Amino acid sequence: MEARVLKPILGVYCAAFILFLYGPMIILAILSFQGAGGGPQFPIIEWSTYWYQHLLGMTPPSRISRLPIGDSLLRSLTLAMMTTVVSTTLGVITAQGFRTRFKASGAVFYLVILGMIVPGVLVGLGMALLSNMLGIDRSWWGTAFVLHVVYTFPFAFLVMLAIFNRFDRSVEEASLSLGVSPVQTFRRVTFPMIFPGVLSAMLFSFTLSYDEFSRTLFTSGRELTLPLTIYGTFSVEIYPNIFAFGVLTTLFSFTLLLVYALLMLRAVRAGRSFKGQEEAV
Amino acid sequence: MLLLSSVTKRYGDVTALDRLSVTVPDDTYVSLLGASGSGKTTLLRVIAGFEEPDSGVVTYDGRRLDGIAPHRRGIGFVFQNFALFPHLSVGDNIAFGLRYREENPLTDTAEMRQRVADVIRLVGLEGLETRKVTAISGGQRQRVALARTLVTEPRVVLLDEPLGALDANLRERMCDELRSIRERLKVTFLHVTGSETEALLMGDTVAVLSAGSIAQIAPASSLFSAPHSADVARHLNAYNILSGKADGGRFLSDCARFVMPGHPAVQDGTPIEVALRFDRIFVGSADAGEAPEASISARFIASEFNGSSVLSFFRAEDGTLLQVVAHLSGPPPESFEEGALYNLAFNPQDIIPFIKRAA
Repeated sequence: MEARVLKPILGVYCAAFILFLYGPMIILAILSFQGAGGGPQFPIIEWSTYWYQHLLGMTPPSRISRLPIGDSLLRSLTLAMMTTVVSTTLGVITAQGFRTRFKASGAVFYLVILGMIVPGVLVGLGMALLSNMLGIDRSWWGTAFVLHVVYTFPFAFLVMLAIFNRFDRSVEEASLSLGVSPVQTFRRVTFPMIFPGVLSAMLFSFTLSYDEFSRTLFTSGRELTLPLTIYGTFSVEIYPNIFAFGVLTTLFSFTLLLVYALLMLRAVRAGRSFKGQEEAV
Repeated sequence: MLLLSSVTKRYGDVTALDRLSVTVPDDTYVSLLGASGSGKTTLLRVIAGFEEPDSGVVTYDGRRLDGIAPHRRGIGFVFQNFALFPHLSVGDNIAFGLRYREENPLTDTAEMRQRVADVIRLVGLEGLETRKVTAISGGQRQRVALARTLVTEPRVVLLDEPLGALDANLRERMCDELRSIRERLKVTFLHVTGSETEALLMGDTVAVLSAGSIAQIAPASSLFSAPHSADVARHLNAYNILSGKADGGRFLSDCARFVMPGHPAVQDGTPIEVALRFDRIFVGSADAGEAPEASISARFIASEFNGSSVLSFFRAEDGTLLQVVAHLSGPPPESFEEGALYNLAFNPQDIIPFIKRAA
């Protein structure tokens, strides 16, 4: 087919696809500006920021209670942060270990990867049963945290594995030959060079943990994380304040991405990443 | 003095180093010539400590080096791909070792600046201190790699094909500079290369590495004029090697027979290899009357013009390939006709005979 015909068709297809992807989010964003008396559907009776104010407790008391998200938001952020630190650290260490071939490395590899493959509901349920058997109280910072790490660690590991795969070992050897110890070599050479990868691993861990649902459902105990709390409010009645909150969290995620992009840009600029060595030849 | 004795290193079934022994004296430039796969990089890596030998001993001034961590050996390593730290500037690359080394790191900034400035002047990198290492040329990177190693004052510097990544005219300049830098610092350079010209040009002493062990180690000129084995002669890429057997003080093969110089006392029928230098052969016409006593008749295949000389290829009746170099300083060589038969004459005194080792 001629490009003259093909191009517009592809363009329309692409636009439709993007609309399909972002449609739900756009509807949600529009509905979040519903007026005080309106419900979670069209038509918009009045454009306002009422539900945003309601969310932040800035409206006069009404029959609809505030979303109980303050504590759970804090919990989810803390949990995501903890998971990010532990998973990324583990991911870097494990990938570093995999740089040298060792016995049963294949088995260990699949064992690590298992954490992201097994169904979340099963693992969550199993963890709940296990903690009951052992008499351990379920909590978001204990049982749920462990499962978050089990889930996100493989992602961090795979990212780092890909990074180390194209890492030029001779740079580290050069550092050693200058009398610099292996620990200092890691700190001064390896880490700065793999930093873009570490950032990606952190981003993966954070976002996966932040909206993790199935694993957390059975293991977080009485104090709920954000996704669980929001799900809980569905069982009563849905008001547009959830949409307002959805828009705010999306904005938060975008900020996170922006920070990631900026840090990445800086790291790549500073090191020209890994191309430096190849260009030299 | 760096001493390796009976060092063996295997990778699975492949023996990279086979009971290799060599002595590298202090304050010399040793070049190590070996074909690819001869184990030359392995040898450097064993000395530097990136690999441990399966057996054998590496010592420096009587102190055992094998088993010691690489960063405690005091041996510098210049990599073929330079292995510069891509996230640091030229100055920080050079200061890296002094700043972060385990033993006796340099904390005094004034002294640091002084020593970095000194070595930058030594290798000729003035004005580039703050540049990124990705924003300089190949030759400059080579200098940074060298400066980074030299500033830590290692006792021995290992150079793994340091000129391999440079283009030809830069390579020649770096050759001279490497030599003069070494002479000023009085350290030992062990320079690994696959190029015989580079090895002979650079090394005060040249060692030929073949099949995982040192075939010969000698001053460059004597190694070139008197190789100890056909194997060494092959590495020099300046000798035709003919195989045949001894027959009453003569060398006998399918394409040639002539009296061997010095009449080596060997039994008739002993397998013999002889080396005949490319530039000691005189090409004559095949039907120029009586053929001289030491000559081989061969057909011309092709020739290569190398600027100052012409390298011509001939094939003898039995399939032996012969190379002849004619230097252009003399009268211009006649051009040969492809496929025509010529007479390759030489003085039997120029022949170096070797008794062929049993395989």
